[in-house]
Amino acid sequence: MKNVIAFIEHKNGSARRVSLEAATAARTIADALGGKAHAVVAGAGAKAIAETLKAYPLDAIHVLDDASVDKLLDPAVDALESVAKAVGPSLVLVGNTMIGRDVGSRCAARLDAGMTSDVVEFKTDGGRVSCVSPKLGGLTITTCAFRNTEYGVATIRPNVFTAKQSTGAGEIVAIAPSGKTYAVTLEEDVDEAAAELGVEEASVVVSGGRGMGGPEPFKTILKELADAFGGAVGASRAAVDAGWVSHSHQVGQTGKTVSPQLYLAVGISGAIQHKVGMRTAQTIVAINKDGGVPIGEFADLLVVGDAFAIVPELAKQVRDLKAAHA
Amino acid sequence: MKLVPDTNADKRIDAGTRRLVRTGVETVLNPFDEYAIEAALQLRDKLADGSTVTIVSMAPESGKEIVRKALAMGADDAVMLSDPGLAGSDVWGTAYALAAGIRATGFDLVLCGTQSTDANTGELPGALAEYLGVPGLTYVRELSVEAGRVRVKRETETGYQTLSAPTPALVSVTKSANEPRYPSLKGIMGAKKKEIKMLALTDLALVKPVGGDGAKTEVVDLAAPPARAKGKTVTAADGADGARQIVEFLKERKLL
Repeated sequence: MKNVIAFIEHKNGSARRVSLEAATAARTIADALGGKAHAVVAGAGAKAIAETLKAYPLDAIHVLDDASVDKLLDPAVDALESVAKAVGPSLVLVGNTMIGRDVGSRCAARLDAGMTSDVVEFKTDGGRVSCVSPKLGGLTITTCAFRNTEYGVATIRPNVFTAKQSTGAGEIVAIAPSGKTYAVTLEEDVDEAAAELGVEEASVVVSGGRGMGGPEPFKTILKELADAFGGAVGASRAAVDAGWVSHSHQVGQTGKTVSPQLYLAVGISGAIQHKVGMRTAQTIVAINKDGGVPIGEFADLLVVGDAFAIVPELAKQVRDLKAAHA
Repeated sequence: MKLVPDTNADKRIDAGTRRLVRTGVETVLNPFDEYAIEAALQLRDKLADGSTVTIVSMAPESGKEIVRKALAMGADDAVMLSDPGLAGSDVWGTAYALAAGIRATGFDLVLCGTQSTDANTGELPGALAEYLGVPGLTYVRELSVEAGRVRVKRETETGYQTLSAPTPALVSVTKSANEPRYPSLKGIMGAKKKEIKMLALTDLALVKPVGGDGAKTEVVDLAAPPARAKGKTVTAADGADGARQIVEFLKERKLL
């Protein structure tokens, strides 16, 4: 495989950051392989998204601008598959997100491609692509290479690769509609939390655990602190199992794996179940009333004190600092 | 359903074979799959039209006891894809072989978990739907079947979608869907009599090679992650003091 194709997710007229990270990584890998960097964007408003992608170092941006196939996976899979087949042997990059995993795995099945997941680094020694991923909750770092196939699909971990603008040729190419009638019907698409950032993609995650004592802090003080940082609210399994916050917020082995710049663990003891979901965060700060909790063994800073007093005060100080710099 | 090492066990990959070490670690039913089994049982009982629930698992024969636990929850029978030639299969090979096993069994609806606690790729449901050639509805928290259509609420990162598709179809079920039941004593006793049909590679009539030889990915290196050093522990005199100490620390790290 020589060429690299980045699948672009978008919402409300903007490409997702992880997709821009994929587009930038596509360039780096394609250069190392002596191939071209492509992007694929499908759905309503895809043309406008493609224009914004011209600011990224891509050789070609393939577009299926069709509102009738918006928010459905099958047309996106068809679009990606058709571009991959036209481009030839290639590596396909998608975000390790709900949509990315679906589109990537389905496209991989059609291409009989090798699949790697949660990739944090690509190696191109000797023209062969291999993918580095933390496995088993970060207990091992695994490097996987593709074999027996002309195609590879990798889901990339958000927040690890850098999205960098630079001038590319950025030729826009229309993708021919598949002409298929799709079996899946979309009846409604509902946003429950307006423009809420997912924990997997946020650069700052503020998580609450058993020490929160109930659902309220997740909607009030933790939310307020996450907002001050422009981040997202996460939770431990204990908090999710108690019904205080929905499963989509859960960080850990039976939840999501996150690698934010800053992970704030509030009232979380840091059992192995939780640790494996956040140990690759760049900086970990814990607030706990107990100085002997396991999280103290691997957090960069453990503050022993009353979270209900510290968190609102921290939110205020962060807001004030940001306002002073604005 | 998949067999995985116990959630809280210390898991590791063998440096020689570069595969997950499954000896000496208790093997359990993948926790994510329990939601799919529960959803299947609830659907069968609600439909009450003679529908049955079959457990399909690709695992060595030693995994029979775990499959029996799923039968004890109330499933009607089970099919195991069990063959030394399947060992070392990657996501691609697993999806491809499972599709053949499921097709041989016959189905109206395939329910699966969203991911496994070991490999945790989240890539199997999508690939499996493709190899089965059926609509794939993933991350589902509510489902119903009526007049040959499956209707679901699919979780998205910001809310949900309501989708419907004709059966046969594949649905992956999230943790929000239900509370999986514990097997009753009666269920455990009954499970001993239920059939576990064993399928070998020759029964699957696969065209493409699977297992370690057919895999489209190979592990070329394994390394231990850099250890996280123990940081510092400080005590907050009050809320403002705790906040100030965190702010100072974040400033040092250029995070503020």
